[in-house]
Amino acid sequence: MTKIYQKGGTNEIKAIDNVSLNVKKAEFLTILGPSGSGKTTLLNILGGLDMPTSGKVVIDGLEISKLKQNQLVKVRREKIGFVFQAFNLIPTFSAIENIQAALAPTRMTKTKQIERATELLNLMGMLNRSNHLPSELSAGEQQRIAIARAFANNPKVVLLDEPTGNLDTTTGKEILSLCHKASKEKGQTVVAVTHADYVKNYTNRLLLMRDGQLIQQE
Amino acid sequence: MHDILLALYKKIEKVKCLNPLNYALKEIRRRKYRTLMNVLGFAIAVATLITLVMAARGWEACTTEPLNNIGTDIIYIYTAPVAPSNKGCYIVNHLFSYPFNQTLLDEIEQQPNIESAVPILMHRLRAMVFVGIDPTEIVTNAVLPRDVIDGRYLKPEDGYAALVDKEYAELNNLTLGSTVNYVADYEVVGIVEVSATNLMKSHIYVNLPVVQEVLPEKPIGLVNIGLIRTSSPTNVEETAADLEENYPNSSILTGSDLAETAYSIIRINEETAWSFSFALVIITVLFMIKSQLGNVAERTKEIGILKAIGWSNSNVVTQIVTESIVQATIGGIVGCGLGYLFALYTLSTIGGEIGGALKLVSVDPLLLGIGFGVAILTGIAAGLFSSLRAARLTPVKAIKTL
Repeated sequence: MTKIYQKGGTNEIKAIDNVSLNVKKAEFLTILGPSGSGKTTLLNILGGLDMPTSGKVVIDGLEISKLKQNQLVKVRREKIGFVFQAFNLIPTFSAIENIQAALAPTRMTKTKQIERATELLNLMGMLNRSNHLPSELSAGEQQRIAIARAFANNPKVVLLDEPTGNLDTTTGKEILSLCHKASKEKGQTVVAVTHADYVKNYTNRLLLMRDGQLIQQE
Repeated sequence: MHDILLALYKKIEKVKCLNPLNYALKEIRRRKYRTLMNVLGFAIAVATLITLVMAARGWEACTTEPLNNIGTDIIYIYTAPVAPSNKGCYIVNHLFSYPFNQTLLDEIEQQPNIESAVPILMHRLRAMVFVGIDPTEIVTNAVLPRDVIDGRYLKPEDGYAALVDKEYAELNNLTLGSTVNYVADYEVVGIVEVSATNLMKSHIYVNLPVVQEVLPEKPIGLVNIGLIRTSSPTNVEETAADLEENYPNSSILTGSDLAETAYSIIRINEETAWSFSFALVIITVLFMIKSQLGNVAERTKEIGILKAIGWSNSNVVTQIVTESIVQATIGGIVGCGLGYLFALYTLSTIGGEIGGALKLVSVDPLLLGIGFGVAILTGIAAGLFSSLRAARLTPVKAIKTL
């Protein structure tokens, strides 16, 4: 697939240039690359937040690149979990409510929602901070909540955009360990994009991205 | 594992499920200034609607009360530019009038939609007003049995017996059995208290034949006022129009005529009040839409995040409309409360008497309900309009908003 911004204009930018990618079920794939290489754009397209200019995206047998917006919302809700680069927690929601935000539009009962959110907080070691606002949490704690939110709906695919970008190395390693553990336990496919080198210790496969192209596989 | 989680769960204090209502309450607490402005907008619109409509109703009640309290829908007279003489004059309240044949009222009583036409002879000499009545008419009359506060009402067989107005009696130390004079002497058999707005309010009330006999002009068989009661309040205007057509030299007065006189002074009736209130509601809707659009713009990134994690357009619309409804509910309640108080105050000052129109009209609960309903509908409209903008946001662009 390819993604071009301002196509036909004078400042045409190929953010993704003829990328072809296969990710197996339960695989932990990491894409390394410098800033501006197109990693986030790739992740946004894989997550149905953006559409490719050409090509297709198939997740769990479903071609999401042809879906309408309301169908994409359903896919994002049920099949995809997303961890954003800047956490993107809702500032007025407490930790547990931020996790519930991913469950609120589902058919899950209220009790189940709270139980699931509690379970994830426990997994992230954040149970004692459940009623704290994001502003009262450290960067590492916010990232844990963001990850918990991404895993809330037991998605098939979890996409992590720079999960350790705002964290120190120790905390970053803890976060990746948690993601790896959560993925392994539930058999979920994880795709992480990052420029942190140490992530390769947690991943099944590593790809490099530069200038919109996947240029090397290891 | 389940038991451990339950135990852990119990340690978490006050965990509420995230739903549109508690999300809305969070946003309201977060944006206190905007919430306050929105609530005030709703409150002012609702309070103004209630106050204006109640004021109009109060004025209308005050102007029709002079007829209502004598059981009358229409007054039939012949106005005249008769100058007062030392022998007195025939008046209707402050209007001079010609006397006419009493049998004319028998003829009028046969007209369609007319239930009764009661004769009155009202005379003024210097500062005193003297009224002749038919005491067999106890529903429509210048003074009614219910107005008697001491003694008794007049009887048809009474000769020189009189009912005396309470204020006049107190001023002149008159009691039951006293003698009061107007051209002749009469025994006071009853003291009456009538409203200051009663058009037929007089000092002395005597049997009509006696009045016709004692007055210097000897107006035997003559009266100067006909009090007409229609068969239904809905056909008053139609009946008045018929009378004007059939008796072109007469003057026909209805409650509307009295109200128009008041309206020309204050220029407000219920229709005007509703029209003004409707315009105010439109302005409020526009203001709320603008405010909610601002609310959506401030939360562009937040809405983008929610859509990215699976919130549909309908989830977003529901949330924004819920917030708007919560603000409208608070504003509506405050507005109803303020409107109720302002209406009470306004009604108490209308009419000139202490207590004013409040004696005649109470604040209508239905009107409070309409005011509250208007607030809610306004909130829904503003929320829907602004949520359409939110629904059009694409997650990736919204998230990138600073």
